[in-house]
Amino acid sequence: MTVCSQVKQTAATLEGAQGILRLYLTQTQDEGSKAVIEKSINTAGEIIGDLQARIRDLEAQENQYKGF
Amino acid sequence: MIWVEILTRSIGVFLLTFLLVRLMGKQNIARLNPFRLVNYLVIAVLAVLLTFGYIENPWFGLFVLGVWALVPVALDYLALKSKRFHDWINGKGTVLIKNGKIMEENLLQERFSGEELLRELRKRNVFNLTDVEFAVMESDGSLDVLLKSDRKPVTPHDLGQPVAPQAETQTVILDGNILDEPLATMGLNRAWLKTEIAKAGVAIENIFLGQVDASGDLYLDLFDDAIRIPQPKVKERVYASLEKCRTDLASYALATENMEAKAMYAKDADKLAALLAEIKPFLLR
Repeated sequence: MTVCSQVKQTAATLEGAQGILRLYLTQTQDEGSKAVIEKSINTAGEIIGDLQARIRDLEAQENQYKGF
Repeated sequence: MIWVEILTRSIGVFLLTFLLVRLMGKQNIARLNPFRLVNYLVIAVLAVLLTFGYIENPWFGLFVLGVWALVPVALDYLALKSKRFHDWINGKGTVLIKNGKIMEENLLQERFSGEELLRELRKRNVFNLTDVEFAVMESDGSLDVLLKSDRKPVTPHDLGQPVAPQAETQTVILDGNILDEPLATMGLNRAWLKTEIAKAGVAIENIFLGQVDASGDLYLDLFDDAIRIPQPKVKERVYASLEKCRTDLASYALATENMEAKAMYAKDADKLAALLAEIKPFLLR
């Protein structure tokens, strides 16, 4: 497994968790919980953005593994 | 003829007493103050006397019944309006233990022996008098106890532990029937419920109880306890995968030699750790 695919996997796991949190955001009734969940979704979004930028760099470096 | 008369009288007195007692409020019998008990007894006796016609002029009987039922209502009303009147008719609580010391005069005044005091304390799981800061005998005769602050049960607040607000759960299925009103309260409908039941893979007739918690997860209890259904574990899974991402980021930060990437991974790992700490009470209970 290349470094790039590992990072991709982490980003994907994070995106999955973010998706489920989005689901809970719509289901939850309590306003306080909603605020915390929404904040978490945003933070996860920032981290996913960082990881994707890193993936682009890595793909440029390990050109032969691009797309894996 | 006499049978018919007794029957009509019983039914009449029954309905009248029922109405009057309802009018007097719904105080619990167990928490009745002593005078209230006398009041109810008088009404009961009057009802019996009226039914059998022991009172020569039944109108007098009805009048007395009315007085005994309506005066307490009037007193209750006045007690609501005035604090002094309230204390006068309901009595005040008596402090039996203050600053950890038993007030012997007050004990005597309530005709409460030391043995009885200890028994009441034991009922509240207090076996050691030194644990008690304050105890008061309420006007209905029950004993309420405040423990010393270092003897009180620990709450999440004491531990400084954030907890998710626990909104009430709604029962949406009872005895295999869908309850529409609680469903609507949660902002859900039958279609959603049918999908969730289909996901669990059980027939609705087999469900004894179904509850939706504040975050919208459905918990089911079946008639047939041999069937095992998956209980929602989604939140635990989300927490676990976030935790995995955090450790991944931390290990990338160690592994990479690119200084810029190292800083980015370390910063993101910290961010995720903060996120985990904040969301933990909502995902794990």
